[in-house]
Amino acid sequence: MKESEPQTPVENAERRRVKIVLLIILVVLIVLAAFLYWKFNPNRPVDYAEIQEHFKYGSIGSEPANGIPYWIFKVLPEMFPEKLPGQGLASLGLIQEPGRDLPVGFSKRRVIVDRVGLNCGVCHTGTVRDAPNSQPRVIVGMPANRLELENYIRFLSACALDPRFTTDNVMTAIEARTRLGPIERFIYRAAVPLTREALIEQGNRLAFINSRPDWGPGRVDTFNPYKALQFHWSMEHDDSIGTSDYPSVWNQQPREGMQLHWDGNNTSVDERNKSAALGAGVTPATIDLDRLKRIEDWLLAFKAPAYPYSIDAGLAAKGEPIYKQNCASCHDFGAPLVGRVTPIDQIATDAHRLDSYTYTLAVNQNMMYAGYPWRFSHFRKTDGYANMPLDGIWLRAPYLHNGSVPTLRDLVEPPDKRPKDFYRGYDVFDQKNVGFVSNVANEGGKQFFHYDTTLPGNNSGGHVYGTNLSAEEKDALVEYMKKL
Amino acid sequence: MTADIIFEPLNFRHLSVKNRIFRSNISGRFDYYNGVGTQARINWEEKFARGGVGAIISSHVPISIRGRILPNYAIIDDDDKIPFWRKLGDAVHQYDCKYIMQLSHGGRQRDIAGVENSFNKGLSSTNSTDSFHGLLSQAMTGAEVKMVIQQFADAARRAREAGLDGIELHACNGYLINQFLSSGINDRRDEYGGSLENRARFLLDIMKAVRREVGDDFHFQVKISAVDHNNALIFWEKKGNTLAESIQVCKWVEAAGADALHISYGSTFPHPWNPPGGFPIEHAARTYGGMIASGTYAFRNFMLFRYRPLRPIFNFLWNRTKPDQVEGINADEAQAVKQNVSIPVLVTGGFQTASYIRKCISEGYCDGVAIARPLVANNDLVKIYASGKDLPDKPCTYCNKCAIHAIADPLGCYELSRYDGDYDRMMKEIMTVFTPA
Repeated sequence: MKESEPQTPVENAERRRVKIVLLIILVVLIVLAAFLYWKFNPNRPVDYAEIQEHFKYGSIGSEPANGIPYWIFKVLPEMFPEKLPGQGLASLGLIQEPGRDLPVGFSKRRVIVDRVGLNCGVCHTGTVRDAPNSQPRVIVGMPANRLELENYIRFLSACALDPRFTTDNVMTAIEARTRLGPIERFIYRAAVPLTREALIEQGNRLAFINSRPDWGPGRVDTFNPYKALQFHWSMEHDDSIGTSDYPSVWNQQPREGMQLHWDGNNTSVDERNKSAALGAGVTPATIDLDRLKRIEDWLLAFKAPAYPYSIDAGLAAKGEPIYKQNCASCHDFGAPLVGRVTPIDQIATDAHRLDSYTYTLAVNQNMMYAGYPWRFSHFRKTDGYANMPLDGIWLRAPYLHNGSVPTLRDLVEPPDKRPKDFYRGYDVFDQKNVGFVSNVANEGGKQFFHYDTTLPGNNSGGHVYGTNLSAEEKDALVEYMKKL
Repeated sequence: MTADIIFEPLNFRHLSVKNRIFRSNISGRFDYYNGVGTQARINWEEKFARGGVGAIISSHVPISIRGRILPNYAIIDDDDKIPFWRKLGDAVHQYDCKYIMQLSHGGRQRDIAGVENSFNKGLSSTNSTDSFHGLLSQAMTGAEVKMVIQQFADAARRAREAGLDGIELHACNGYLINQFLSSGINDRRDEYGGSLENRARFLLDIMKAVRREVGDDFHFQVKISAVDHNNALIFWEKKGNTLAESIQVCKWVEAAGADALHISYGSTFPHPWNPPGGFPIEHAARTYGGMIASGTYAFRNFMLFRYRPLRPIFNFLWNRTKPDQVEGINADEAQAVKQNVSIPVLVTGGFQTASYIRKCISEGYCDGVAIARPLVANNDLVKIYASGKDLPDKPCTYCNKCAIHAIADPLGCYELSRYDGDYDRMMKEIMTVFTPA
């Protein structure tokens, strides 16, 4: 067939017109695509210029895989208030700053629709009050002393299992708060049942936590949920208890190379950070390395706030040599044993947390991020608990890895003199003993968590260093430690 | 009984016509594809001569193949066409009927340009595509302007050599000369565009060239659109020339030596106002297919005609500005022209009723009327008038089916009701054009 048949001017004009029409259609499609991309752009996080804001509200990539669609997140406390101990999510110890849409530790990212995920701030931001009638001060980097993460998980599971969690009901609740566009409404109608299924699934995987002593505020079982969620292991035959306090996250530069985590299972700050991010809900595919790095870089030198209350300088001066004598070799930056693991038979604190971390887990963790240059390789099984630097120690109460000793002053008492039970979750500071006031059972209807040291994992024994000092020496030591 | 003005001779300077009824321009695809005339053309014109008209103004006679509007129209592009036209002239002269050849160039308005023109665009004043069918257009260069002027002059000479009685320049209805005259179409920036004077220059240059060829004693008339109404169909087009502008052009035409003016309407053909009457869209659906390849909007139009749900769109546009009046639709404009010139004025536009024609002539609206469709319906219309009837028994319905069929089928009256619904009878009548009477 002859291909070079000449075209008439009319045919040429019509071809041109077809091209123009196609071009116009193309442009319209591009504009439409751009609009849809702009409107439903996958991975468009809300960013914050100020680094502390970014820490508290910025995204590290937990939303795409484990985020809850924003409006569902917003309406759940309204639809199921009876599943919360008090008013709103704040009743779970989440910090709701005035004028902020989301609690501290919750980030927002557009993944087709806005989704809400967790970030570093949720576990590493706490509050302190000078007195019961004071306003809480939000302190970034300290352990989330009031966060009841376990109860938050339970709340989500309970909502998802509630027969009222239907698409129609959720949509009605959402539409009562906002006007969704037609596309967004369509997406939400599909998202509600998917969210419900995902929350039920999460609840099922984490059901084992209900057969262990409650975490209470400020504590989390770090590695058992990790087993269930990251590796999908059955927890049927694993009755270990890994419940421990959230750590502070200040001053990471000098911690590089130290044995990190309570049991010192990893010596890489970077790996520890990425591992912790997994705990917040990121996945190897969704982790937002740039935004995480912003936090990591900042934390290298971000220091704990100085003790804000009065210090008896004379007493502290007396305490300093006592500290040097009894504590510094394990806890001072640069000291020979700081950041090293003290074997469990020497430290003798509750072994549950140590035992919950297994060889198998370490081996499997070292498979994580396979295919990426930052594949984990530093996880090790250890035989004790690591000696932590004590910067900002005044904000890190209760003490020991499992938060079983409410104050520093209590910690320097022999184990049998330490409180057998106390309350956690109260953020009024105990300036005398250094720690949070632990003998208040409730405040304004809020029932604090009763900590029972006799329960498995809650033992307050061990770490007997300094316990044989005189009362005066102990007071001096504690006074000095306010300065750390 | 006073003399019937219809049957009073109309005396032009160099031509005397026995009565006031002129067969207006209507063509028909009767000839050979290459433009050589056939007996059918002669038969066609003879019908009207026999029917008593005073003069026949020919079909659109192209002065060049490139300027034709449809194939199978007898043309006058070469001396070798003279014998045919002489034969045709002789045939109508038998009936004391005069024959005035309309010299035409379609410009961009070539409904079906023909295979010879497949790879060229219509020559025009503009590069802008025609707004109705999307017929492509090419602005003429200075040399092309000169060439076309000479083609008109040569064609005029041939008409005279063929023994015809006069010539008419087709300067209306959106054909080439109108494309120069109209401010709605002409976008030139040279001496042939811009001011009215410049836009009229092409027409006046042709007239000069024609007069140079045929002399001053050969009947020479010009057909002008009194109003362009260039936006009657496509509302975003410019409106084109006004009546006042056209009157000025007519004055210049008279001064340039025209013997008569012939008044029509509109800067496109067809135009919602011309030919006045209906638009038989269901017939257009059958005949317009042949035009699909002609223009860039033709397929669109075909769809509008062919598919019932789309027809209201076209009907809306077509009827948007259309007046109710049909007969004498251009009479007022003709009168306005006549009041400004001293040469006779002919007017076309739906004339069919004898009494109305008499009134128009006697009251100074015009000197004669040019009729096409009513004569296609009743070839012997003049004889009917002579018999004392005011209107034929089966008058033209102004349905315009004749015009719509003209692009594809033999020209004739396609109004079935005029044949009492007898299709065979209608076909027989239409086909008589191929049979010498």
